[in-house]
Amino acid sequence: MSDDQMVTIQVDGRELKAKAGTLLIEVTDAAGINIPRFCYHKKLSIAANCRMCLVEVAKVPKPLPACATPVNEGMQVYTRSPLALAAQKGTMEFLLINHPLDCPICDQGGECELQDIALGYGNDASRFVEGKRVVPDRDIGPLIATDFTRCIHCTRCVRFGAEIAGIRELGATGRGEHMEIGTYIEKSVDSELSGNIIDICPVGSLTSKPFLYSARAWELVQRKSIAPHDSVGSSLNLHVRRNQVMRVHPRDNEAVNECWISDRDRFSYEGLYSADRLTRPLVKKSGNWVETDWQEALEAVAQGLKRARGTSGNRLGALLSPGATLEEFYLAQKLMRGLGSENIDFRLRQSDFRAEEPAYPWLGQTIAQLDELNAALLIGSNIRKEQPILGHRLRKAALTGAQISFINPLELELNYHATQLVNSPAGMISDLAAVAKALGGYGGLIDSAEVSDVHHRLAEQLRTAERATVLLGNIAVAHPDYALIQGLARIIAGNSGSLLGYLPEAANSVGGRLAGALPGNDGSNAQEMLSNPHKGYLLMGVEPGFDCWNPARAMETLGQAEFVAALSAFRSQSLEQVADVILPIAAFAETSGTYVNAQGEWQSFSGAVAPAGESRPAWKVLRVLGNLLDLPGFDQVSSEEILAEARQVAGDRKPDNSADGGVAYERLLAGVGLTRIGDVPIYALDPLVRRAASLQKTRDAIEASSRINAREAAMAGLADGDKVVVKQDKNSAKLRVVIDPTVPDGCVRIPAGLVGTDTLGGQIGDVTLEKA
Amino acid sequence: MGFKNVPMSVAKPSVNKESLFSPELRAEIDKWIAKYPQEWRQSAVMAALMLVQEENGGYLTTDLMDKVAAYLDMAPIAVYEVASFYSMYELKPVGKHKICVCTNVSCMINGSDQIVEYLEKKLGAKLGQSSADGRYTLKEVECLGACGGAPMFQIGNKYYENLTPELIDSILAGLE
Amino acid sequence: MNVLRDYIKSLFLLELMRGLALTGRYLFKKKFTVQYPEEKAPISPRFRGLHAQRRYASGEERCIACKLCEATCPALAITIEAEPRADGSRRTTRYDIDLFKCIFCGYCQESCPVDAIVETRLYEYHFENREDAIMTKEKLLAMGDKFEQQLAADIAAQSQYR
Repeated sequence: MSDDQMVTIQVDGRELKAKAGTLLIEVTDAAGINIPRFCYHKKLSIAANCRMCLVEVAKVPKPLPACATPVNEGMQVYTRSPLALAAQKGTMEFLLINHPLDCPICDQGGECELQDIALGYGNDASRFVEGKRVVPDRDIGPLIATDFTRCIHCTRCVRFGAEIAGIRELGATGRGEHMEIGTYIEKSVDSELSGNIIDICPVGSLTSKPFLYSARAWELVQRKSIAPHDSVGSSLNLHVRRNQVMRVHPRDNEAVNECWISDRDRFSYEGLYSADRLTRPLVKKSGNWVETDWQEALEAVAQGLKRARGTSGNRLGALLSPGATLEEFYLAQKLMRGLGSENIDFRLRQSDFRAEEPAYPWLGQTIAQLDELNAALLIGSNIRKEQPILGHRLRKAALTGAQISFINPLELELNYHATQLVNSPAGMISDLAAVAKALGGYGGLIDSAEVSDVHHRLAEQLRTAERATVLLGNIAVAHPDYALIQGLARIIAGNSGSLLGYLPEAANSVGGRLAGALPGNDGSNAQEMLSNPHKGYLLMGVEPGFDCWNPARAMETLGQAEFVAALSAFRSQSLEQVADVILPIAAFAETSGTYVNAQGEWQSFSGAVAPAGESRPAWKVLRVLGNLLDLPGFDQVSSEEILAEARQVAGDRKPDNSADGGVAYERLLAGVGLTRIGDVPIYALDPLVRRAASLQKTRDAIEASSRINAREAAMAGLADGDKVVVKQDKNSAKLRVVIDPTVPDGCVRIPAGLVGTDTLGGQIGDVTLEKA
Repeated sequence: MGFKNVPMSVAKPSVNKESLFSPELRAEIDKWIAKYPQEWRQSAVMAALMLVQEENGGYLTTDLMDKVAAYLDMAPIAVYEVASFYSMYELKPVGKHKICVCTNVSCMINGSDQIVEYLEKKLGAKLGQSSADGRYTLKEVECLGACGGAPMFQIGNKYYENLTPELIDSILAGLE
Repeated sequence: MNVLRDYIKSLFLLELMRGLALTGRYLFKKKFTVQYPEEKAPISPRFRGLHAQRRYASGEERCIACKLCEATCPALAITIEAEPRADGSRRTTRYDIDLFKCIFCGYCQESCPVDAIVETRLYEYHFENREDAIMTKEKLLAMGDKFEQQLAADIAAQSQYR
């Protein structure tokens, strides 16, 4: 029998057609026939250890588990026959033997699979009179609360760890009644996808710690939304109670996030309710911040911008957060262009703008296509932490045999086998040139590249693979020679027949371009705006100390401006230092808008809760500013109207990564001394996630430190825990030394976006260390 | 537990396996590894644990299990699972002679309860405990497959069947 | 015939007499009237008066913030907020009953798995400010402490019917 042969089976008298060999439970699920189950999960391997899905199959003497029974021609299945029901009831009775009767204090109460199925198959009283099993709780980190006494040993979490998260952290130790799910030793679960085990746990064993005891499933109203952090744009369900986001769940979307979301998307909502949420407009009056009303604040902004503008719009600049919505981008650029300024940018973490950039850079393929890759080369990307869901997709490809390789300045902790070429940022360029040379590239620095075996191997992998891709990540964007990296990547992709793709940094890095939030002719880009002081600035969603490539210079430049207006959802020290007026804007979940994700998909969402305090959606603020400045075309009444307008301007632009790029650029980063690698840690990406308290307690939320490998430390006479003064340009910071074997020679990893490193310069550049 | 995707192994294999165990022990473990296909070297975990336990005086520590995991390129938790599942692995120090009494159904019907009671009285130790002199450890185990000779227990790698209190006395007297 | 009968009835005021006879009978019967507030009518142990929250003998509050009362309340009079207490147990931080909304149906008492929220026999109370109509957690617990003996006895008496 070939695998794709269709067979006909009968389930409860209904005829169903299915591919031979499909599992029975998949067939019944597709047909809407309900079979109770605990251990079966559509994305995990089959364990068949809960025995809840037992059904009767004609001519088979014993009931069979539907989740582990492939369908055959002519199979007759009875899901509600006396035999099947007796088997299911028997299983239920055994499951309830050790399950505590603590539903009233269990967070899963009301949305519990065991509760639901017990209602259908359980007895009203237990016949079990012996003592129940008690399992001590384990602390497995700041995100997940455990109560293993409630565990029914379905092992979904264990399989999730092994198969999806890719790190086996949880396991089932002990035997029989003594079997326990846990980490065995005291240890936290650190995967960036760990929160998903809360969803897949059918009982209340694993629950959300930030949400613990705070609300009941039936109180919550579910609203659709789109994840605001990475460029995946995962589909979310926000669970809202009394105008407050209580928790975030994934919404199934096979094309994007399947049924998972990253912890960053799941727990960042905590940031909405942080203490420094801005709820009233602030105006700086003789050096002091004063709360005021909207009227005064808006007028102050309009006046300030007008005054700073004077006779030429070129004196103004706008720096926008790449996490802003498309509508906000559109109105912000319209406002600036209305004032005659072409200085608009959201590429705050990019320093090298020499290369011509593609009109509409994107992933180069759909997100789902990542699963089917045969080879991939990632350049300057910590994809697991930057776009966790894309990292998972890539892992899926790797497990089916794809050759994944990385050219990075850091050795990554990966959860699959991959080739990692770890070299200093300057060395990365040489590596890329060597790979390009191995693929027959020529010109510029390629000619002088030394090609070694590993470069040949990488080149071969890409060339021979049926589906190959070259992806540029966030570290590449921050590279001082990004133009060269782009040029080399283009040659590598072109000569090996691979797709070139960009891994956009933030939720709307793609949308910003479509909305035209880029410098126009003779306009200044983010770096120019932040190095040559302009008279007036408009900041939106930006904390200059944390969100810019060179925070020290950004602060200095903004400090010299005559007038800085900021739209921000949060109070922020760095903002208060440079701004003159801060207008409170709605944060994620409070505003409607549109994000365009890495695969070029426009995803609109509406607000789930009202904006905090007196804050208002940024598009409304921008529109009123437009009115106050007497600019035409600022009378939209809804975000949909702005979207329609933006769509018209964007036209039917298709995602397109093509550009004329060469490698005829000078190398800016010599890499002679010690080079700083300033990656942005996963939980330091944007203002919202930086304020998510629980995420900041995880192991991934690394503190500001200067991390070097043991060899470099020995040479500099440093030991783990020493204090050093890091000097970069004319800036310095005092940081703790951490010995980190993942950092290559000649480099020091000083993460960006953190308190403590916000006084330093560019993310990648020369630094010196001095023992303090 | 069978996982799809074969992720029993870890993504980053340990590099200096030589430092983990003595050369003799490594040779022994390698003999077992050789019996399985290369990508399934984890299959040797049971034998490896047995050998390591023997070398460590009859019990395993977390540290030793971590070493076995590193040696076989497994996630440590996978080794803990195996070691905590099977009754022949000890996770705490044990006496010189480990008496593993079967209390499963065949033995129970043939009086394993009395055997346990007699042993507990004789050794002054409850199930799972060691005698005061540290010579014996009494352990309750699942079926050892000698139902034909129930009730039975195992000491070392030897089975003793059709037990009676008198027989137990003579067996224990005969031990070193 | 009917016309004649009605004529005689009205002529001799027969219906009036019958009515007066009834009045007269009750005039001399034993009186039912309770001289409230000097006298009080007997109250059933199932009486649903003002709410209270009970404690265990150890002094620990019973309520575990399961929110079943909040869910079952047909008048949406109950508002609960909860969070883990320092010792890790599940407890309310806010438990309000809005007496303006409450219809004293007793569902909250019925739904409570730990007999925490109960309705006392107290029916004599008044408010001087609108905000007094909110029974807060403190007020409820104070009520519970005051009437604990009576409440425990009432629940014990009713236990065989539950």
